[in-house]
Amino acid sequence: MKIAILLKRILDPEVSPHKFSLEPGATRPSDAGIPKVISPFDENALELALQLREKSPGSTVTAISMGPPETVEILRKALAVTADAAVLVQIETDPGPDAFGTASTLAAALQKTGPFDLVLAGRQAGDWDQGQVGSLVAEMLGFPCVTFVTQASPSGNGLRLQRESENGYDVIDADLPLVLTVTNHPGNVLRLPKVRDVMMANRKPVTTIAASDLAAMSTKIPPLEILALEKPPAVAAAEIVGGRDEQEIAARLVQKLQELKVL
Amino acid sequence: MPPVPTRQIYWNIAGHDYMYLFLLVLAAVFLYGVWRHYRTWQRGRPSPWEHRYRERWRRFAEQAVVQLRLVSQLVPGIMHLFISWGMVVLFLGTVVVAIQADLHIPIMRGWFYLYFQSLALDAFGLVAVAGTVIALWLRYVRRLERLRKGLFDGVLTGLLLVILLTGFVLEGLRIAATADPWGLWSPVGYALARLFLAAGTSVTVMRHVHATLWWTHMILAFVWLGYIPFSKLFHLLLAPANVFAQPLTPPAQALPAIDFETATTLGAAHFEDFRRKDIFDLDVCTECGRCEEWCPAWVTEKPLSPRAVILDLREGLHSMARSEGEPPLVAGGVIRADTLWACTTCGYCQEHCPVFIEHVPKIIDMRRYLAMEEARLPDAMEAALRGIEDRGHPWRGSRFSREDWFRDLGFSALRPGEKTDVLYWVGCTAALEERSRKVARAFAVLMREAGVRFGLLGDQEQCSGDPARRMGNEYLFQTLAQANIQSFQEHGVKTIVTTCPHCYNTIKNEYPQFGGVYQVYHHTEFLAKLVEEGRLPAVAGNDLNSGENNAPAVTYHDPCYLGRYNGHYDEPRSLLTDYLRLDLSEPELSRRDSFCCGAGGGRAWAEEDPAHRVSIVRSRQLMATGATTIATACPFCLPMLTDGVRGTGQEGEHVRVMDIAEIMIERLGWQDKVAPQNTITGGTEG
Repeated sequence: MKIAILLKRILDPEVSPHKFSLEPGATRPSDAGIPKVISPFDENALELALQLREKSPGSTVTAISMGPPETVEILRKALAVTADAAVLVQIETDPGPDAFGTASTLAAALQKTGPFDLVLAGRQAGDWDQGQVGSLVAEMLGFPCVTFVTQASPSGNGLRLQRESENGYDVIDADLPLVLTVTNHPGNVLRLPKVRDVMMANRKPVTTIAASDLAAMSTKIPPLEILALEKPPAVAAAEIVGGRDEQEIAARLVQKLQELKVL
Repeated sequence: MPPVPTRQIYWNIAGHDYMYLFLLVLAAVFLYGVWRHYRTWQRGRPSPWEHRYRERWRRFAEQAVVQLRLVSQLVPGIMHLFISWGMVVLFLGTVVVAIQADLHIPIMRGWFYLYFQSLALDAFGLVAVAGTVIALWLRYVRRLERLRKGLFDGVLTGLLLVILLTGFVLEGLRIAATADPWGLWSPVGYALARLFLAAGTSVTVMRHVHATLWWTHMILAFVWLGYIPFSKLFHLLLAPANVFAQPLTPPAQALPAIDFETATTLGAAHFEDFRRKDIFDLDVCTECGRCEEWCPAWVTEKPLSPRAVILDLREGLHSMARSEGEPPLVAGGVIRADTLWACTTCGYCQEHCPVFIEHVPKIIDMRRYLAMEEARLPDAMEAALRGIEDRGHPWRGSRFSREDWFRDLGFSALRPGEKTDVLYWVGCTAALEERSRKVARAFAVLMREAGVRFGLLGDQEQCSGDPARRMGNEYLFQTLAQANIQSFQEHGVKTIVTTCPHCYNTIKNEYPQFGGVYQVYHHTEFLAKLVEEGRLPAVAGNDLNSGENNAPAVTYHDPCYLGRYNGHYDEPRSLLTDYLRLDLSEPELSRRDSFCCGAGGGRAWAEEDPAHRVSIVRSRQLMATGATTIATACPFCLPMLTDGVRGTGQEGEHVRVMDIAEIMIERLGWQDKVAPQNTITGGTEG
């Protein structure tokens, strides 16, 4: 089974709120002094890919990411947890919220470096949280897609999948080729790399493809454009309800809540 | 001419030449035993050796001759001094006999015979008997908890007592039967002789008993001696050797660096991966259990006892030497993984080991294998390491940045290339952990008021690497150390002052391994210096400030990496008592005996059963002083003890835990200087 895993490099979502800033007029947040990491759900997808490779011998895992040359850092992290190959689709800046544009470039890259039997992606990126790229890639490749997958194992000629649903989970048998978008689960926390593999990862080659060399599959829809980006003002409205004793405080609190039509 | 004082050697012993046959057997058995051990010591990797022989002999005099560490527990210490020195002198007596009997040099005569061979030997024999009796009393009557009560523990001591007593009886019989004119010079033997004579024992009976007892005494002594290399008695030879051979730069304080270009195995997977000195250590152990007494892991029922680690390793090593099979896996095999992760690296064990075994570097060596070759760590510790890797600090989820704590105080981080002489290294915890951030503010304000010009790295600072190194990820540690050394270089840093004892130890003692040599101060050391130079105002009030109801105002908790690791016991105390004029009450366990808060060695991020928290045990000890303020000097101890005090329930409600810098701010009345300043929009608390 040839597995591809799509990884997005994003600003560390756990950065302190004071660090997160927007220059006036900028259409993307400033990244000065903020570490960049693999988008969290993509890490779950990567772990799932590695587990599938272990369960079906002879499989390979190829990590694919799109971004400027520094994106190679996260591909090295994928190589450190023993991904077999890494492909960088090089563009000038980190991909923004244009899910359609991103998906069409990635789909073209998958076709160029594939064919793949299975493509995995995180259920949504940790920065823009749109959750579209995985299913759009499936559409463009003409593969079926299962979303919110937590676990997967080989079954017959395809996979048996566990998928998170509103009331519990679905168990699905699916044939290959296939696209999965993965959500977090205690069973798919990304493993820690072994130090030897980290050292090896620095010596493994990373294939670089210029995005401009890929004939994007569709040019009919213009890429999404951000006109303005603003940080919502932090509004902290707090009122301390006072009183002589607990009973009075409770009574006043109830009154307040009724005034606000909460009760 | 008066006769020259002496005595006949081998009086009454016919066929004493047969003794040499026994001696030959003893020598063969002994050498075989030593050789068996010597073979296993060769299994390890070479150990570094610093010459500095003057220093080695000094330590030998202190710890092997005077035995200072042993005497720190008075009664057991005296017991050991009595037995060891009794045995040494008795052994010298035997050598004197051999010189006269076998080399035919007549030295056993005259005043030397009277003062040494008679009087001194009797006195030291008596001392040895007293030591042996104390040893048996400690083990079986006082039942000291740390002492094991196995069969051989009793037999070996009991046998020694029998050998010593039969020696005296032999002497008494000889004096009585030969009417020795110099008998009074051997007071114990003489007293026994008088007893035998008073009992009306005939010379024939005495000669008969003497001959039989002589052979019994000799054989028992040979058996005991022959058993030395096969038991913990081996420490008679190995302990002084280990005192002499101890690394002069303690490897716990500056862990040996791994050369990743050449290393075949990362960490200790098998015995072969340990250094020879580490393997030698295993055979030195006397099983005394001093290491275990206040081991924070052992006291709180974690699956780690430093003594068991050493003894299990020893057992594993010896059983490997006996069999030919695959060498056993050490990390996670002979020693369980959860045992290794339970260690806080506080160093209590090695500070108290009378034979200078080093437990912590062995534990870290095994952790290195688990962390780097197997990538297997407890989840919470793994998350901390991941945090360091991804964002340069282990405090995942902190809502602060490294620059938030100082912005409203008017400080700013060094610009790229900007030089500074004094760098305040804040450390991740004081910068990002809610409680400890106040320490950074207090210390920065104290420095400013004292007129110290200092630089801050802000976002350019990364974890010093201490938690990574002590959790076994040497690779990550080296990456961080190199990056930080580069930052120091960029800013022309020569002097570093830090509020974190862990960073302090790492930067001071471990960065030199990578070419980073600086003048490093802990903040209490630096503040004491500022006070001495008169750069901080005197504190108002003349009397020692006592707490409510005459309770002591303050107690002090020694952080392990400041005290035991770096010997700074006095500066923090002098700040509290001499400068701040506070009434300081010491907890029962303080200075080198201090009990860890539970946060070292990466344990700050480990899961811990709420019912068995190290921090609660330590908080109770500190609260037992009656002090309402617990002072400390470490950003790990601070939140640990704050939680610990809370965990003690109601009694902890009126107790507060503070860093010394914060107490200084309070006593100087500078609270408004560290309070959040509104001049800068946004504030720090977001």
